[in-house]
Amino acid sequence: MNPEQLNSPNDFQTIVNKIYQNEQFDFVGIALQSSEAPHSIKWDFVAGNTNERFRKIVLRSGIGIAGLVVRTGKPFWDNNLNHYEFSDEMYTPIAKTESLRSAVAIPIISPLTNLVRGVLLAGYRSNKIKISGQTALTLSQYL
Amino acid sequence: MLETTRWINNYFNDSTDAIMIFKDDELILSNQIAKDLQNELELNPQYLVEVADSSVKQKFSPTDNCFSCIIQNKMKEISIPITLAKNMPHPLNYFMIYNVIDQNEKVFSLTLKNRGTIDRMDQLAQQRKLTQYVNRAHEKERKRISEDLHDSIAQGVYSAIMGVRRLENNHFTAEEIKELTTVIESQLNDTLTEVKEMALDIRPSVLDNFGLLAALKVLAKRLEENSGVTINVAGNANTEHLSDDIQSVLYRITQESINNALKHANADEITVLLVAHNHYITLEIMDDGDGFDVPKYQHFNGKSMGLMNMNERVKTFNGAFKMESKSGEGTTITVKFPVA
Repeated sequence: MNPEQLNSPNDFQTIVNKIYQNEQFDFVGIALQSSEAPHSIKWDFVAGNTNERFRKIVLRSGIGIAGLVVRTGKPFWDNNLNHYEFSDEMYTPIAKTESLRSAVAIPIISPLTNLVRGVLLAGYRSNKIKISGQTALTLSQYL
Repeated sequence: MLETTRWINNYFNDSTDAIMIFKDDELILSNQIAKDLQNELELNPQYLVEVADSSVKQKFSPTDNCFSCIIQNKMKEISIPITLAKNMPHPLNYFMIYNVIDQNEKVFSLTLKNRGTIDRMDQLAQQRKLTQYVNRAHEKERKRISEDLHDSIAQGVYSAIMGVRRLENNHFTAEEIKELTTVIESQLNDTLTEVKEMALDIRPSVLDNFGLLAALKVLAKRLEENSGVTINVAGNANTEHLSDDIQSVLYRITQESINNALKHANADEITVLLVAHNHYITLEIMDDGDGFDVPKYQHFNGKSMGLMNMNERVKTFNGAFKMESKSGEGTTITVKFPVA
C-alpha cells in the first residue's frame, strides 16, 4: 500500500489489524490528528487493547514516546516504560493504560507536506522481546 | 578548684530539670526545682524511688518481653515516663531518668525532665524538615516552569515560524496549502494548550473567575485526557461565600488526590463530589483502584508531602480530613470544612 492511498479510516484499521496479526506485539495503535479544530491527536485505531481508556486520551506533543514522535518526526522506542510516573516527561498515557513494558512509535508522514500527521505505536506487555531500531524499521514497512 | 565547685553547684541548682540524689533510698540532695516540685505537688520522693525501683526490677525480669523495654535497656540510664499531679486540673508529664552514681555506696539520682519540652523539640525538628521541603519544592517548581517555557513553548512557536516560512517560499497547490496551514494551526494550538496548562498548574484562574466547581471540572477534563481514566465531577456547591484559602485547599487536595490515584491506584474511574450543606461543605474523591494500607504512608518521609501535607492544610482552616482505603477496595478521601 503506498502512502497516497492511506486516507480512508478503513485503511488504518486494516494496517493496525495486519500488524497485530503478523507481528507479536501485544498492542498496536494509530493516533491521528483530527482534521477539525482544535486538531487534537487521538488513538482512533487500535488492536489488542485491554480496556477502553485509550478513547479518552488526547496525545500531547512532546510528552511520552508518542508525543516525541509527533514533535520530532523521528521514531522512538523504550524498553523500560513502566518506571515512568504520571508527572514524568516520558510518561506515555497509552503505555500506562495498556500496561505496556516496552513500545516503539513511528511517525505517519503526510505525503503532501512531509509533516507528521499521526503516530503508529506498537508494544509488548512483557519484557521478553527487546525493541530496537530494527523493530521500528519493520513497523515502517506497513505504512 | 573551689571556683569550679561553685559553678557546678550553680548549674545543679539552676537546672531546669528537677534533680534528686539518693543514698540508700533516702533523699540526700535536691536542686531548687525539685524542692519546688516537692512543695507544690506535695510529692513524696519515696514514691519516685518506688517507681524507679519497679522499673529496674522490670528491666532485669527475664519473663518480661515487652518491646519498648528492649529499647529502654539499650539506654545507659533507665528512663520512665511519669505523670505527676494526676488529680489536679493540669497533669504534668515528665520523663524520670534513673542514673546510678555510685554502685557500692548505693548512690543514685532521679532526674525529672519535662516531656512538654521534648515534644516541643520534636515539633521544631519536624518544622525544620518542612521548611527545608518547602524551599526545595519552591526551587523545583521554578526549574520546572523554566524548562517548560524553554522546551515546549519556545519550541512550539519556533516550529510554527518555520511552517509560515515554508508557506512563503514555495508554490503549493491549494490542497497542500490547506494541509500545511492545518499543521501550523495545530502546532500553535498545542502551544496554546501548553501555555494554558502551565497557567492552570501555577494558579487556576478559573477558580477566581468561575468558582471551585468549574475549576475542578477543568482539572478533571485535563487529567482525563492525559490518563484515559474517567474522572467525574459532581456537586451542587455554590462556593461564592467560601474564603479563597479554603477554595484553594479544596482544589489542591483534589489535584493531589487525583494525581495519587493516577500514579499509584491503577483506577478505572475517579469521582469527585463537592456538596454544600447548611453549615459545612464536603469534598469527596473516590477511586476504584488498588487501595493501600493507610497507616504506612501517614508519616513524613522528607521527600514527598503527600498525605501529611493534605492533612496539615485542612487542619489549618479547622477542617477535617479522612482517608479510607483497603487493599483491593479503592480509596476515598473526605474533606469537611465548617462554613459560617
